[in-house]
Amino acid sequence: MTRRSRAWRVAAVGLGASIALAGCSGGSGAGSAGGNSSSGSASGPTTIKLVAAEYSKDHTKAFWDKFATDYKAKTGNTLQVQIVSWDDIDQQSSTMVQNNNPPDILNLNAYASYAKDNLLYSSDDVLSASVKSDLLPAFVKSGSYQGKMYGMPDLSSARAMFYNKTLFTKAGIAAPPKTWAEFEADAKKITALGGGDIGYGLPLGPEEAQGEFSIWLFNNGGDWKTDGKWTINSPQNVETLTFLKSLATQKLTQNNPGKTNRQDAFDLFASGKVGMVVGFSPLAGTLDKAGKVDYGVAPMPTKADGGTPQTFGVTDYLMAFKKPGNQAAVKAFYDLYYQPDQVNTFIKAEGFLPVTTTGIAAFASDPKLKTYLDTLPNAHLTPTDDPTWDKVKLAVQQNLGTAMTGDPKAVLDKLQQSAENGG
Amino acid sequence: MSQPSTTMTGATGKPAAPVGARPRGRRRATVRGRGAISPLAALVWLAPALLLIVGVVLWPAVELVRASRSRYSITGLRKGPAGWDNFRNVLANDSLGTVLTNTVIWVIAVVALTIAISLGVAQFLTKDFWGRRFVRWAVIVPWAASLVITARLFTLIYSYYYGSINAVLLDLHLITTPIDFLGSDKLIMPSMIAVGVFVSIPFTAYVFVAGLGAIPTEVHEAARIDGGSPWQIWRHITLPLLRPAILVASVMNMIYVFNSFPIVYTLNESNPGFSHDTTITFMYKLAFKSAEKDVGQSAAAGLFNVVIILVAVLVYLRVTRWRDQEEQ
Repeated sequence: MTRRSRAWRVAAVGLGASIALAGCSGGSGAGSAGGNSSSGSASGPTTIKLVAAEYSKDHTKAFWDKFATDYKAKTGNTLQVQIVSWDDIDQQSSTMVQNNNPPDILNLNAYASYAKDNLLYSSDDVLSASVKSDLLPAFVKSGSYQGKMYGMPDLSSARAMFYNKTLFTKAGIAAPPKTWAEFEADAKKITALGGGDIGYGLPLGPEEAQGEFSIWLFNNGGDWKTDGKWTINSPQNVETLTFLKSLATQKLTQNNPGKTNRQDAFDLFASGKVGMVVGFSPLAGTLDKAGKVDYGVAPMPTKADGGTPQTFGVTDYLMAFKKPGNQAAVKAFYDLYYQPDQVNTFIKAEGFLPVTTTGIAAFASDPKLKTYLDTLPNAHLTPTDDPTWDKVKLAVQQNLGTAMTGDPKAVLDKLQQSAENGG
Repeated sequence: MSQPSTTMTGATGKPAAPVGARPRGRRRATVRGRGAISPLAALVWLAPALLLIVGVVLWPAVELVRASRSRYSITGLRKGPAGWDNFRNVLANDSLGTVLTNTVIWVIAVVALTIAISLGVAQFLTKDFWGRRFVRWAVIVPWAASLVITARLFTLIYSYYYGSINAVLLDLHLITTPIDFLGSDKLIMPSMIAVGVFVSIPFTAYVFVAGLGAIPTEVHEAARIDGGSPWQIWRHITLPLLRPAILVASVMNMIYVFNSFPIVYTLNESNPGFSHDTTITFMYKLAFKSAEKDVGQSAAAGLFNVVIILVAVLVYLRVTRWRDQEEQ
């Protein structure tokens, strides 16, 4: 063996290792995504594949497995179910599309880019008229790209202000705040209790910065888009972000809010240290189960005195990929999913909110959900119907937190600019 | 990680290769003498290895190059050829300078500290003492644990509100407010480096244990008889004879640490932007997490990574004069 070849061999090991690692991200991971026997005739039994996000360890897989059994019994078709965690689902779905092997149905928090790439069936193709008319209009609108509906809502949530009653009593606060001024004063009182108590849990870290900022800006009359134009750096939004920053600089929030993820803020609230946090119904479920924190749920405070509290709604989507021979089976999937005993069972188990008119009626009897249900039909959503938003959302997640130590206006100006350039 | 390590320790186990002394012609003759193997039979025997190389190294590499020259939609759909656009975009990224600086600091600090600490650990492990076997096993543990789990564990240890480090320091009244190991721009890199060193020590220490074992005891004895102090013996006998092991350990560690994804990604998870990423996590975020969300750019970044580590290793071998080493 020559000296030279030995040196090269060591270098080659490095090359191999780097390539193998790089290759993974380049996309060879979805080898298991196959198994779609696309028989051409609509009458014969078909196998379709569902890739669904995991909302909870306990319920998501259990529901979809049972759903697959019901689906088989009703239609004769087979439904393969693959549950993927939220952390991985963006990567998995991207890899599947990249390898030209998408699932038949994908459950995700975005759809518009897929619709733009002409990969999806519209509701005209796969949704029965009776099903579509039962969906709440706000969600039909958010699921529609260029006049056609592609994103079918699977469940929804609405945000509200959670407050710790024990801390409120200790600090001598009688009622949850109605305006931003009251909110700030209350946060100060709770922080002043000492002992590490935190006025407000503010999560502007990369997990869901857009959610936290959304509900605050909606309550200041702002929006991401107004009349079809991006208004990310509107005066209201700059004012809103500056207000949030002022909470951070006054130390009324937990440490480092620009680097705190939503789950971390929820965990802190659940530990009883935090006076207020913006939460949603699954948080209530967690808190009830733990039984540690005596909490209340109130509408969001508004900037203006006597304003109407606005809520931020979120829906996730079930979208269907165009593949030869799967249209009838996909339609049968949606017909079954939107049966009240299916969709409402799923939503109830996961602790979320309904997406149909019949669902609202079915959930109305639950007093715990009243705060959300009343506001749900008028909830503000993020502009998920614009494919640009899919990129803007990522930019917001990666940049908004920097405003806590930087200049809020500059951060929003940059986001506005990237949105205008198409993400 | 385990595969290369066994081959490398094996190689360092007997640094003096007697093969060079044998004339070449004779060696070839003996092979022929055992009976010629037909090329077809040879191919059959080589096929599994060749398939593995093609499937695991060549095919992904080809795919990576293809992806880097393609234009992708945010959904992952290939939209056509991109020429060199992906490469240009990566080079034009505002954060590239920060990412490269982070990578250099990360690799140099982790490798240098690992080598220094492992030298001591290896010396300790070769001493004869009661319970040595137990200690040797304990040193392996961080290596045996999954990197993701280790990294996750350290986010808890470092945590501002619940972390055990802060709890201990607060209880001892050494600090009055918790230290934000993972949130402070100044502390996150040292915090990550500490974890990187922690998980790199076992492999490196064992390379050195093997290297120390290969040093003939006579040399040390002779040095002692000649009146050498322990420091002199270590400095002028042990260290030079360990050189091959140190070189191998540094090269392997450079590659592992450069390619280390879980530690940087997990500990840096709640920090927005690219300000604490290395080139590997930068590549991943380009594809799936950042506003670019572009598989093509990520593939281009991946190719840059391959070039960077290749050049870094070759420069290192050149600087340390690997070839001179071989001549000894």
